[in-house]
Amino acid sequence: MIDIELIEECRGGNFNNFRKLVELTSPFAYSVAFRMLGKEDQAKDIVQETMVTIWQKLKKIKSAEGYKTWIYRIVVNKCYDEIRKRKRIPEFVTDEPAWRLISNKISEGPSAALEDSEISKIIGILTDKLSPKQKAVFILSDLEGISNDGVSEITGLSKSSVKANLYHARKSISEKIEKYL
Amino acid sequence: MAQENEKLDKVLNLLRKSSPLLDSSEDIEKEVIKRIKNIDYSGTVLAEAFDFMFGWIYIGWVRRCLVVASVALVLLFAYQQAIILRRIDYLSRQTVVSEKENTNTHADEMAKMLVVLRNAGRRFPSNSITISEKQMKELLESVNELQLKYKDLENLIESDPELKKMIQKKLMENNRTKINL
Repeated sequence: MIDIELIEECRGGNFNNFRKLVELTSPFAYSVAFRMLGKEDQAKDIVQETMVTIWQKLKKIKSAEGYKTWIYRIVVNKCYDEIRKRKRIPEFVTDEPAWRLISNKISEGPSAALEDSEISKIIGILTDKLSPKQKAVFILSDLEGISNDGVSEITGLSKSSVKANLYHARKSISEKIEKYL
Repeated sequence: MAQENEKLDKVLNLLRKSSPLLDSSEDIEKEVIKRIKNIDYSGTVLAEAFDFMFGWIYIGWVRRCLVVASVALVLLFAYQQAIILRRIDYLSRQTVVSEKENTNTHADEMAKMLVVLRNAGRRFPSNSITISEKQMKELLESVNELQLKYKDLENLIESDPELKKMIQKKLMENNRTKINL
């Protein structure tokens, strides 16, 4: 659990406390980065860069709740930059094995779990037609379970824009699922 | 539709349950601490000052308002330019008489010039004729000359009683106030 006391202790320049902060922050930062980018190395780089940014701007943090939103915002913005660097997103090609994997996992029932590479494949084929904003809104809202208000604060979009992006993302994914599953 | 939603829910649940796992959080911690220690803080004060001055650009609604304001200014500029061009075009079609001697002309002479111009306007429909400044000057000079000749003639008639009588007789015969010379 991240609390404001830990953040305040970090402000004093204590590396041990900051290690603890990194330990607590890295998992959810990595989760969003990996789901957005689908590549382990890039996601780890984003987490590292995010933690360095946090260290440099610790003074600006006012509350533990605000801290989490802030982390998400930094991660999402860095992911946008990374997506922009990938000049052209490859054309969508029906990925038979990935759809077969989804089908098998769903038939396994509630006990089914996915490995990281499988998560990457599935999110990749489901979201390859979405814009970076739609993808971010979908991941934050539907996969990370953040409220629309929170997503709005993280992405800088208005609430209505968040709803619209989420609607389009779900519609696109639903159409694919209907077509291939 | 319900079946479609059911499939979507199943896929989303599968993805929600399977959060990407960060297997080497210690490596990230070490790397982050290493990078923090190597940070050159010389530019930090400058960066903070920059953030303080231009930090508002990260606020969504401020950015949007500025965009709207800039668009409005561009439109206003274009509108004013259009008005100015229309004015210039209108003025360039007008006949300009701005000679020094004309500005010093006696009121009577000005009135006569206006009569001449008005007559010219009646004879030629608007926009069907263009008169240069030189031509206008020549026209005014000829009117003045004619006027002088007329006065001379009047003086001549007044000074010679015989001639005056003869002209009056002629006028009486023709029942006219003017005579063709």
